[in-house]
Amino acid sequence: MTATARRHEVMTSTPEEAEYELRQSINSYWTGGRLLVGMFTFFVASLAFTYFYLRSSNSGGLWRPAHVTAPTGTGAAIFAFSAVAALLAVVGYRRFQSGGVQDWKVAGWTAVMALVIAMGLQIYQLTQLPFYPGSSGYASTFIAWAVTNVFLLICLLYWMETLLAQSMRLRSALPVGETVADSASPRAQKFRGNLESCTFFFQFAAIVAVLFWALIYLI
Amino acid sequence: MSVIDAVPVTDSEPTEDYVNLGVFGRLTHRRGWLSQHLGTAVIGFVLGYLLGHWLGNVVAGGYSYVQNSGQNNVADTGGLLLGVLGWLFGAGALNYPIAKMMGREPAEERFDPSWTRYFRYTADHKVVGLQYIFSVLTFLFTGGLLAMAIRTELLSPTSHAFGPGTYIAIVSEHGTVMMMMATSIVVGPFGNWLVPLMIGARRTAFPRVEAFSFWTFTAGYLVIMSALFYGGFPTGWTGYAPLQTQAGAGMMSYLVGFAVIGMGMMAAGFNLAVTIVTCRAPGLTWGRLPIFVWSVLATAALLTLATPTLVAGGFLGILDRTAQTAFYVNEHGGSSYLWQNLFWFFGHPEVYIMALPGFGIVAEMLPVFTRKPLFAYKVAAAGMLGVALLSFFVWQHHLFQSGINPDMRPLFMLTTELISIPTGFIYLVGLGTLYKAKIRFEIPMLFALALFFNFLIGGVTGVFLSDVPVNVQVHGSFFVLAHFHYTIMGGLVFAFFGGIYYWFPKMTGKMMNKTLGKIHFWMMFIFFNLTFFPMFIIGLLGQPRRVFEYAQNLQTLNDIASVSAFFLGASFVVFVANFVWSIFINPVAAPPNPWDSLGLEWQTPSPVPYYNFERIPVIMADPYHYSEPNAPQLADLGVGSDRTDEKVEVGK
Amino acid sequence: MTDTSTREPRHFARMFVLWLVVAGVADALFYTLAGPHVPPGTMTTSAKDNQFDFNVLLVIALPVLIAVWIYMGYAIVMWRSTRKGVAEPVGGAVARGNKGVQFAWIASTSTIVMGLFVFGTVALINGAGSGGGEGPNPVWSPNSKAPLQVQVIGQQWKFTYRYPSFGGFETTQLILPNNTTIEFHVTSLDVTHDFWAYQLGVKADANPQLDNVAYTTTRETGSVTVRCDELCGIWHGAMYNYGRVISPAAFEAWATATQRASVANTKLLPPYALTYVPDANGADGGLYPTNVDPYSASEVYGAKVAAS
Repeated sequence: MTATARRHEVMTSTPEEAEYELRQSINSYWTGGRLLVGMFTFFVASLAFTYFYLRSSNSGGLWRPAHVTAPTGTGAAIFAFSAVAALLAVVGYRRFQSGGVQDWKVAGWTAVMALVIAMGLQIYQLTQLPFYPGSSGYASTFIAWAVTNVFLLICLLYWMETLLAQSMRLRSALPVGETVADSASPRAQKFRGNLESCTFFFQFAAIVAVLFWALIYLI
Repeated sequence: MSVIDAVPVTDSEPTEDYVNLGVFGRLTHRRGWLSQHLGTAVIGFVLGYLLGHWLGNVVAGGYSYVQNSGQNNVADTGGLLLGVLGWLFGAGALNYPIAKMMGREPAEERFDPSWTRYFRYTADHKVVGLQYIFSVLTFLFTGGLLAMAIRTELLSPTSHAFGPGTYIAIVSEHGTVMMMMATSIVVGPFGNWLVPLMIGARRTAFPRVEAFSFWTFTAGYLVIMSALFYGGFPTGWTGYAPLQTQAGAGMMSYLVGFAVIGMGMMAAGFNLAVTIVTCRAPGLTWGRLPIFVWSVLATAALLTLATPTLVAGGFLGILDRTAQTAFYVNEHGGSSYLWQNLFWFFGHPEVYIMALPGFGIVAEMLPVFTRKPLFAYKVAAAGMLGVALLSFFVWQHHLFQSGINPDMRPLFMLTTELISIPTGFIYLVGLGTLYKAKIRFEIPMLFALALFFNFLIGGVTGVFLSDVPVNVQVHGSFFVLAHFHYTIMGGLVFAFFGGIYYWFPKMTGKMMNKTLGKIHFWMMFIFFNLTFFPMFIIGLLGQPRRVFEYAQNLQTLNDIASVSAFFLGASFVVFVANFVWSIFINPVAAPPNPWDSLGLEWQTPSPVPYYNFERIPVIMADPYHYSEPNAPQLADLGVGSDRTDEKVEVGK
Repeated sequence: MTDTSTREPRHFARMFVLWLVVAGVADALFYTLAGPHVPPGTMTTSAKDNQFDFNVLLVIALPVLIAVWIYMGYAIVMWRSTRKGVAEPVGGAVARGNKGVQFAWIASTSTIVMGLFVFGTVALINGAGSGGGEGPNPVWSPNSKAPLQVQVIGQQWKFTYRYPSFGGFETTQLILPNNTTIEFHVTSLDVTHDFWAYQLGVKADANPQLDNVAYTTTRETGSVTVRCDELCGIWHGAMYNYGRVISPAAFEAWATATQRASVANTKLLPPYALTYVPDANGADGGLYPTNVDPYSASEVYGAKVAAS
């Protein structure tokens, strides 16, 4: 293969370029994470808008007849497990930053377990409703939130799980003595950028969980 | 000694840093019929549809309301959603996401010299751009054929070419297909193809998200076209409830289709926004960013942030029709206004999604064909961001007569009229750049000038619509219809075709035929105006939109519009002929920079190498120094030895 | 400035004179010739006001359109490249961004826009909503003490009208008295329609379960076309009917006669109300059964039976 033909097909980088593009990747994780939160915010805000819009218009007096509520115990449990998952993600990330990779992994896997339980409870709750989906504005909004919550939990689950899986493979790929928290290898650096965004997203999810727990069960 | 060997390099081919994708990697990297491509995607769609439909019948088939109504929307939705999933799976979009769960890293994609790469899931932004061009043209011409059908029906006020049900299905399908197409017509093809080249990046920030956006977009096409097999839907592109709740199974195609297209729009906007923010070459400060990139940034922001509301609205609609919730049912505690609010909260930013990229294209072309710097560059960039921001605060001007928040009408009148100020900046830029210029009337320039002519009419009539008292007369009439065709078609679609003529040589290495191009332009320009200008008058004289019967005295005007529309349709035949002629039948090799542009995209070799830039360019000036005979060098492309002692700025 | 033969022509002076003449003529011609005939005519106050508004906007818009067109035409004729191939670069002062021009542009467009906003708002408030639908609680209403209430009911695919001050009878023809303030109450029985009484300059969405009020005052007698202006299903295109504005005396006579003639029918109608729940299940059941308590899905929608 001639050099000319080859240069059209294979990217080559000087060390400076490799470093520059690595920076770009890491920055993309940061920017992308924030933009993703913006995207989800607009989606979740649409649901919150729906809640308040139907509540205030109260068509036919059917916003919430007799103050029906989705099973509160299950609801509180779902919220608790989601919140614990977020807390673990944040605390784990703190430990990670100070070098405690193992702590983060334990926290991460526990968070994944908590999310699985929350998701299971959310689906179980849908089978235990004391109302029919179309019976009131509240009932409808609850269904939408429950489905959204399952989706949101899947996103969190996926992100955390892929990071954990990645960290396991990284351990054997990194030079002896380096951990993913302190290695200067490009993969470890990207991993840290990814993890930072993931933790940020968990914090956002915690806020959403609090908001909708209050909307659906408390007020 | 070749250039490659002159500088120290590290191959970023899969090394110890990358492990392959395992079984999925083998699937992706296999070549030939037994790999994943468009064909397997189609098979995936069909199998997914069948599976989803069957599942839906199992889940909901037993409910008496399903049995009594004779339609099972759960099965229809399940079929469409799993069909889309099967499409993505078949295309290979899910290989990496699944492999990632096992902690695997993406293998670097190798360059594929075969033509089959255009039918594959690929992270190469130039291939994705071309894939997008062919898809949006398919979208556009499908919608165009439906428009021909509409104009045929409207030839006569009383005798009908179609039954009312068929006609309303055609109208709805036309509107929806065109709206979906227009969201991506520039951002998809030109955004993906050009932005990395213009900002000196060797790839986009998230290449797999970029590919995902394309394959989702095409899946959306299949879903919305499936409405025809369900008997269509009667709501127009606005999908107003309660008609939405009342409609037949075709409505599911609309709701799922918009949700799916919405996913694609968000993915495309997300990727491009992040790319522009993080992947600019060293030295490419915000003040040196090409204006087209500014317009894509503003559009990408709207795509990312406004579309979730549409997806949410569609999601609630899907729940209404499957889980029997009551979001849009007034009698059950819902509100039909809720849809109108959610829809238009997305719908108006959407309108600017369909205007800004067009502005970007013409502003990019003007300096090239006038040999002057872009006038008021900063104002133009600020105007685009201003439009993007304001567009979130105008949605209720679609609802002036609906009875929603009547006391808010002056506010929305104000915001709507305010948005005409930043929109007007594009005219400041255009007219200022034309001042004492040396205008060359190449075909792209003709399209650019046509945009200024058309959009002026569209924009000024927009001010009429924003005025509440006048709106009482013209709301929902052909006046509105003419207005938005003047802005979207007269603006965006003209810019899109200008863009094709302008960048075609770069994208394909071939020149478009000039004579055919001129015929195309003049036919399109003249008959566009003859089609849509009479519609202002038709609307003022009292013809509502989406009707198949109208007053006898409006027949002459309607016939003028119809006959012109057929010629307008014919102009696209000329375009297709030119396109096919110039690519396949009689290709004429294009010079590397046929328009003598200073833009960075034209400084790359032709054809553009797989990785765009051999060395990351260092930008040294803005790309509009047309006024100086010895313009400062735009960028140091680093090819050759003059870069050996160059210091590359590294880091944030 | 001494050598006149090579001096640049005064472009802006030329364009300005041309613009002044063309825009002046266009405005004058439009306002005098077309203006009085601009839809929707002058049959009611809202129609007349909206016509005036439209004319004012067009009188402002025409000079703007003409200014841009003249400038572009002038540029295309005067500033085209004469050289084959790529034109020579344009340098010097004209190539620089002129801050004054930019500022003037922004200032003038902002002024026009703010002016239009004030004009539109004043017209809207003075016009008591300008004939547009104002929702159930209109914020702006006319001064008239006793407006005639007329209810407009949209359903797939026809309009009917009820006159509460005449016993609530229902007709398919919109008959209105001249020189009277009318208070339209627009509602729907099924999907969203839009009541567009073209010559009256009235437009209001007909939403199910919602009352949408619009005002106008009749000024002239004549016939009226009513069209549905919101897509409402397959026969949307055929959803129109006609009405008349007649003298108050004739209206009184018509209304009392119709009231008397339709007594039997009126009895069968639901009592006059601002909104109606369509009756799906029987005499007064409505769509949402209040008689099932506690609410049970299976009672209403049928129990789930085993999948066959």
